[in-house]
Amino acid sequence: MEDCNVHSAASILASVKEQEARFERLTRALEQERRHVALQLERAQQPGMVSGGMGGGQPLPMAWQQLVLQEQSPGSQASLATMPEAPDVLEETVTVEEDPGTPTSHVSIVTSEDGTTRRTETKVTKTVKTVTTRTVRQVPLGPDGLPLLDGGPPLGPFADGALDRHFLLRGGGPAATLSRAYLSSGAGFPEGPELRDSSSYGSLSRGLGVRPPRAGPLGPGPGDGCFTLPGHREAFSVGPEPGPPGGRSLPERFQAEPYGLEDDTRSLAADDEGGPELEPDYGTATRRRPECGRGLHTRAYEDAAVDGGELTDERPAFPAVTAPLAQPERAAWAAWTGWCGASPSVDSARAGGTLSCLRCWPMRPPTCNICALRTRVSSGVYGSCGGCHCLWRCWTTRWAEVRRRACGALRNLSYGRDTDNKAAIRDCGGVPALVRLLRAARDNEVRELVTGTLWNLSSYEPLKMVIIDHGLQTLTHEVIVPHSGWEREPNEDSKPRDAEWTTVFKNTSGCLRNVSSDGAEARRRLRECEGLVDALLHALQSAVGRKDTDNKSVENCVCIMRNLSYHVHKEVPGADRYQEAEPGPLGSAVVSQRRRRDDASCFGGKKAKEEWFHQGKKDGEMDRNFDTLDLPKRTEAAKGFELLYQPEVVRLYLSLLTESRNFNTLEAAAGALQNLSAGNWMWATYIRATVRKERGLPVLVELLQSETDKVVRAVAIALRNLSLDRRNKDLIGSYAMAELVRNVRNAQAPPRPGARLEEDTVVAVLNTIHEIVSDSLDNTRSLLQARGVPALVALVASSQSVREAKAASHVLQTVWSYKELRGTLQKDGWTKARFQSAAATAKGPKGAPSPGGFDDSTLPLVDKSLEDEKTGSRDVIPMDALGPDGYSTVDRRERRPRGIGSAGEASEKEPLKLDPSRKAPPPGPSRPAVRLVDAVGDAKPQPVDSWV
Amino acid sequence: MSYIPGQPVTAVVQRVEIHKLRQGENLILGFSIGGGIDQDPSQNPFSEDKTDKVNGWDMTMVTHDQARKRLTKRSEEVVRLLVTRQSLQKAVQQSMLS
Repeated sequence: MEDCNVHSAASILASVKEQEARFERLTRALEQERRHVALQLERAQQPGMVSGGMGGGQPLPMAWQQLVLQEQSPGSQASLATMPEAPDVLEETVTVEEDPGTPTSHVSIVTSEDGTTRRTETKVTKTVKTVTTRTVRQVPLGPDGLPLLDGGPPLGPFADGALDRHFLLRGGGPAATLSRAYLSSGAGFPEGPELRDSSSYGSLSRGLGVRPPRAGPLGPGPGDGCFTLPGHREAFSVGPEPGPPGGRSLPERFQAEPYGLEDDTRSLAADDEGGPELEPDYGTATRRRPECGRGLHTRAYEDAAVDGGELTDERPAFPAVTAPLAQPERAAWAAWTGWCGASPSVDSARAGGTLSCLRCWPMRPPTCNICALRTRVSSGVYGSCGGCHCLWRCWTTRWAEVRRRACGALRNLSYGRDTDNKAAIRDCGGVPALVRLLRAARDNEVRELVTGTLWNLSSYEPLKMVIIDHGLQTLTHEVIVPHSGWEREPNEDSKPRDAEWTTVFKNTSGCLRNVSSDGAEARRRLRECEGLVDALLHALQSAVGRKDTDNKSVENCVCIMRNLSYHVHKEVPGADRYQEAEPGPLGSAVVSQRRRRDDASCFGGKKAKEEWFHQGKKDGEMDRNFDTLDLPKRTEAAKGFELLYQPEVVRLYLSLLTESRNFNTLEAAAGALQNLSAGNWMWATYIRATVRKERGLPVLVELLQSETDKVVRAVAIALRNLSLDRRNKDLIGSYAMAELVRNVRNAQAPPRPGARLEEDTVVAVLNTIHEIVSDSLDNTRSLLQARGVPALVALVASSQSVREAKAASHVLQTVWSYKELRGTLQKDGWTKARFQSAAATAKGPKGAPSPGGFDDSTLPLVDKSLEDEKTGSRDVIPMDALGPDGYSTVDRRERRPRGIGSAGEASEKEPLKLDPSRKAPPPGPSRPAVRLVDAVGDAKPQPVDSWV
Repeated sequence: MSYIPGQPVTAVVQRVEIHKLRQGENLILGFSIGGGIDQDPSQNPFSEDKTDKVNGWDMTMVTHDQARKRLTKRSEEVVRLLVTRQSLQKAVQQSMLS
């Protein structure tokens, strides 16, 4: 057997070389051959190859043998011919599956909260299945497509059964060509390693025993591999992963993990973790070839990084495999591994391969089996041993075609919820290899594929830091900066360039968006990456200038900016120089304007003195001072991460909030303002004032009407942070109260079915109300005028949510604490009991005095909220107690324990459902919306809509 | 889109002619309307299209019920509407800008 294998390996090599030499010739014959194939196909289809029951492995092996035989027949040109075409087919597949553009919603999810993220994940899983199904379908198309390239008969979409049949048919005729294709593609990898691998290859076939060892130029491996695929597919289609046939919905896999839920350290540790995780997958194989499992794992990284071709050395001979595999699968596997010199255990292949095989399936262009095989092999855990290496080697080939396909295969592999593939790619050193390829590749298509793959990979937590480590510089300098139009040394003569919304840019920004959620360290790296923030800002400005703010790239950029804005006041180097004194007992952080300014040099020293002067004066004067707050003058233009928090960005975000119709962008822009206005450092003070000066408050208030829950939430929290500024607080109290109260009302009685706000949103709104009502009699009056009290009382009484009820009773308590208003309230028929009972409900076990500046410091509510915080519900926390953390979107997510996500998942679905109902409200006067509004006691004289 | 009170508003409008259907005694148009100056705009289920005029009557300053009556007048078989739609507005803006 061994000899046999060696033989075959040698023969493969020989044939490869030969093929290569003949490539030119073959190419010429391509056209003719293709037509020929098409004809044959047509013929083959018509008479019934009715072998419907493909479930068993039996018929397939037969088919293979036939095919193998035919392989040797001279039809090989066709295969070559197909090669050029394959790319098209391939690409399509890839796009469908992996197009990061789809996951738009994902992004949005990321933006807001943990809950959102979670939810996405669920969705993703489903999606993956769907995708798989799709893939299966496409497979049949693929093969047809290739021969069809030149006007062949369109086979149309096949049912699964049809596929098998086709396949068999093809075996007789054009199929042979297919296998050839394989060989020819093999030529693309003329490197030595194959020889060495031959032994392993041989052993594999031995284990399989199914195939007769073949001599001759055609290695058994390739041929089998090609044909195995159909068999494989069959087994799978019946198997555990039958996706819903109707699964047209595009998966938005990216959404799932946009924000890092984990600690910063986690991703770093991931490499180490990978080993153990994968261990079980190797199964028996590990035992037999310890070097492969372990050694590869640890070493693969560098090796791949240095040179994809080196890997062969590490590959141990493959042991005889006893695991029961479906015949076709085995054969294919054997062929594969043999060819690649990889030695994955069949067990693991079986375990992990199913899903991924299917997923990769579409990758296979009918005629070019190389990639299909590769994909198949590399799919699943065992991919870590062989498949990925093969792919890496593909890249070294000078055939752009093959390279492209290898990228496509990888992108497919990296797609989906299944982290095994991602881990496998990581373990093979995939990230550095991809990054290197990105640097080297000039072919736009390859760049798209590479960045798409990176985007896919970036949704996997343990990979985020790896991507940052290896790819941040490259991604920034190769893609983000050039495509953003930003120029380091702006040429004064030329107009600033606009950003180009290319797919590469979109993919890359998506990738960075995902990795930017990985925690403080990730944020630091991104912020300090030279040119990144500048370029992103430039791109966004260009988007605003062109009023092109709805696309995915903009969304990605804003999300990155939002994430990077998170905790700037703590994380930016030298941030402590800008810290302001802790908020005084009055509760409004704004009041204490004194900064610790050790470096007055940065900004004129004048301000400090002025503030010092004003300090200690009455509030009113402070406010006035604040109102005329001068922005610091810079001696030199801000650059890098400083741009994140310069007051100038406020205008950008406000423009986005005004212009964009992309909810994710809206949410992210509001989240950015929220992050920037949190915290008590000098820049937050400027930001809060700038939002007011730029007339941002009306923009935000208007967005409180947004139909999208998460936008409302982000805006509400942003308003709360902004109201740290006393002047803002007054304005928000006067102008936003009606909207806020309306949202509270909607919380109990949605204007239309399904429009109920999420708990998090309601709580956020209530906390905002609480904030603006606290310490402001006028604002409390506005609340009464807006008929907020009945709404709040009703909410406390009726809400199913403890958090909502608590938050509402906080507000009520605060209202009652204004003795000036009690008369009015009692006149309206409210009794103290209403407010007190609410308080009682909300009262936490601990009665500690409120930490922050609430007028009535005896109110125990604040403690309650603190307690909430411990349990993970952050929104209830009063700002002063919590400090800025409570506000930042990203942070919350990070803090949130995983377990809580489930609630978020459930709730996340709501907004999605909402949309259709909103856009197409059921006609007719009897819509429930009307009734609901009445029920609240807020009935209008007429129904809100009439049938005319 | 927000408007500043007191400032003229520029809008892209579209003419729509609707022949009413007879339903029993009534003439109906077959769709729903929302809003009206007596209504809470935030409750308006339809914000995409705005009806500016009906058969020449200004509809921007009428109550919900007035609008309903005007649209369903039994004496008029046909209504000619002047409609503002957000999507149209956007489209025009875009095309003018680009």
